[in-house]
Amino acid sequence: MYEVTLKIKRYDPDRRKSWIQEYKLKAGRILRFTDLFRKINDELDSTLAWNSSCEHAQCGTCAVKVNGKPLLACELLVENAVQYFGSPVFKIEPITVAPVVRDLVVDLEQAYANVERMQPYIVEPAHKQSQEAPSQIHPHVLERYVEATRCINCFCCATACISSHRTFVGPNAVMASVIRLMDPRDKAWKVRLDRLYDHRGVSRCHTSKACSFVCPKEIDVAHFVALAKEGRFGNVRNR
Amino acid sequence: MEKSLRISRTITCDVLIIGAGGAGLRCAAEVFERRAGARVVAVTKVPHAQKSHTTTAQGGLAAVDPTDPVDKPIFHMFDTWKGSDCSADQNIIQRIVESAWDQIVWLEHRGMHFSRDLDGKLRKRTFGGHTIDFGEASAYRAVFEADRTGKGIMDTLWGETLKGGITFINQAVATELIFDRNRCVGAIVFKLKEGEFLCIAAKATVLATGGSGQVYQITTNCRQNTGDGLALVLKAGLPIMDAEAVQFHPTGIVGPGILASETLRSVGGILRNKDLEPFMEKYAPKMKELAPRDLVARAIETEIREGRGVMNPDYGVEHVWIDLRHLPDHIHDVQIPEVSSFFKKFLNIDPKKELCPIRPSNHYHMGGIPTDENGAVERGPGEIVEGLFAIGECASASFHGFNRLGTNSILELITMGKFAGEKALEYIDDPVSLPKDAGEITFSHFSKFLNAQGKEKIGRIRSELQAMMTEKVGVFRSEQGLIQAMEAIKELQERSERAALSQRSLKMNQELVQRWELDNLLAVSMVIVCSGLHRRESRGGHFREDYPERNDDFHYHTLAYMPISGDVKLGRRPIDMSIFEARGPDYEKFGLIERKY
Repeated sequence: MYEVTLKIKRYDPDRRKSWIQEYKLKAGRILRFTDLFRKINDELDSTLAWNSSCEHAQCGTCAVKVNGKPLLACELLVENAVQYFGSPVFKIEPITVAPVVRDLVVDLEQAYANVERMQPYIVEPAHKQSQEAPSQIHPHVLERYVEATRCINCFCCATACISSHRTFVGPNAVMASVIRLMDPRDKAWKVRLDRLYDHRGVSRCHTSKACSFVCPKEIDVAHFVALAKEGRFGNVRNR
Repeated sequence: MEKSLRISRTITCDVLIIGAGGAGLRCAAEVFERRAGARVVAVTKVPHAQKSHTTTAQGGLAAVDPTDPVDKPIFHMFDTWKGSDCSADQNIIQRIVESAWDQIVWLEHRGMHFSRDLDGKLRKRTFGGHTIDFGEASAYRAVFEADRTGKGIMDTLWGETLKGGITFINQAVATELIFDRNRCVGAIVFKLKEGEFLCIAAKATVLATGGSGQVYQITTNCRQNTGDGLALVLKAGLPIMDAEAVQFHPTGIVGPGILASETLRSVGGILRNKDLEPFMEKYAPKMKELAPRDLVARAIETEIREGRGVMNPDYGVEHVWIDLRHLPDHIHDVQIPEVSSFFKKFLNIDPKKELCPIRPSNHYHMGGIPTDENGAVERGPGEIVEGLFAIGECASASFHGFNRLGTNSILELITMGKFAGEKALEYIDDPVSLPKDAGEITFSHFSKFLNAQGKEKIGRIRSELQAMMTEKVGVFRSEQGLIQAMEAIKELQERSERAALSQRSLKMNQELVQRWELDNLLAVSMVIVCSGLHRRESRGGHFREDYPERNDDFHYHTLAYMPISGDVKLGRRPIDMSIFEARGPDYEKFGLIERKY
């Protein structure tokens, strides 16, 4: 059993007031931080607002900052957190990619607008499609971008990114565009490249690689951003 | 009534979709493909459609490839019928199975990142219960996207609906369906972030709210799956079909409830109780760990009930062990890396060196809102409600009957989503008019929640309900246990009236939402219990200790109505046997056969 202290940054939209609230609780070693939030709701304070959905590290809804590091609360175990941060006292804040709605809940809709801007779908099919058969993609081609398709848009990378959220669409949004540039089924390269290289695009990246460092899915996000930065897709039109 | 409660805006649309998971968005995509520029509004309880529970589906999508030299649709139909314990509707089985491959091609053309074989074609794998030649050998029938097939579907559908011009209302719930005589004309929607109520007038309304797993203590379902759509139709006086048909997976990982796949047992994992005794020998001397899912689940629960379980102190949950320590490293590293990583990530356990805690986990609700083959909601057998559809896990067409096969659920949600989309279009040229009292039911409920007085706690009532349902209405059921459960639900219901909220704000007030969810959980629990009490037999996921065999006097679907809380009335819907009755080739396989493997 651990005695942990969570110092949670709270925000009340009715009073427009923000403050740090301290919760002390006893927690079993393998409880996860989402379990701790639930415990706070059930035992100490039912007003604390936080978000989660699958709690299997597959949807990215529960991303928060713990001692400054963006991560998924559903996969952070108490004993690992104590060991990693070297203390049972944790400062917990909402991720910083969108305005706070209440406490740890942010308006993800606004963060997602950046990903949607990059058109995460096939804009124009590259080949004539047969109604009977799926297209063929050689596994070696798929292998080049399949890692990027594992992204769950938890916005941990965008939170850690040292470029401004106002000027840069963010690493995950860049990756969404890169997937379709590498996907042989789409040929809308012109519109994609225009967005990828516009004033909010990849030129805003400072190459800190913080995105790869914090990604909960362990995707090398910076690799895909780098492919775009080095202009790898410039020749794609001649494919 | 509370003054702050009012409709802040009324909006109109062609199709209103409640629940933006796989089924809801497949439906929306179909509407856009057939009618460009249609006004489709999708309401989702999660902060963004991509966070829907569909995204956690791992395994694959069952579909018979027409170029496959050995597999045939009739085999898939047979497997589904047999798996359902002869309780699925054969017209639905036929329609879904025959449309399956088209749906795979549709997804692939729209950019889903399926796993590929060396020729660049879609890879396929086997899955429990899917066979060729009527059970002779395993079928390679499941196409997949690595271990994240559901996410692949979700990402693809999100993209397609964005392209179509969908309007999402994120983090919002539907609290009331609006009717004009026998036609559904929209819904009242509560926006959690803003704390506002919308009145949405729609020519067609589609319920795609997902499962009800939060009724149970251990579940693979996400936090939002509180049976909201089921409670919504019950309040509207409409029925829930086969509510008692709930699937439990034998090996859920204690804590997060994630599935520890059957592979663990097929590669040689051994189930052990608190004394480390390998107990499956007692229950299935020949098959042992490889016995069917339901038998393994009952064996584990028996061990726990008879005092041979182990208590996990952190989660307060009793469990048994799965022992993987004796397996060679290459099996751990090559054959079961994902599951091994779950134990590592969520429990800090190294399966190579330590015992792993597991317990049967609620997985899927076969029962749901009864519909016809187009997803149109039925008031009673053959009698549809105009303008109202239900698809995905909240619905029951019924493709799964009393037991669902793996990889059939996401197939069902994309096909039924498509069919409902096609049919919903038939309503979009008919204007609707809203009745004056729209919203009154919602406001009377919310008023009650906000003004409640007393010291009861919502979280505690929910936990007690979940523990009680797991114990009495889970893997094992009995007349006595079900009667006790009914009494317990009534008592919890009364206690819930005495739970005062800590704050009365409407903006992102999670306690208020949890109060509303608690009513839904109690309502769904009540119909599961009453339907289970009526069904004095065992069938698929419904196992009665006092009636352990299937009894074909019960060869029908249960309909449960509960317009007033606690007051359940039951009805019946016949099971469609059209494949059998058509007397085509192999029709005899579609009679009342035994579910033995």
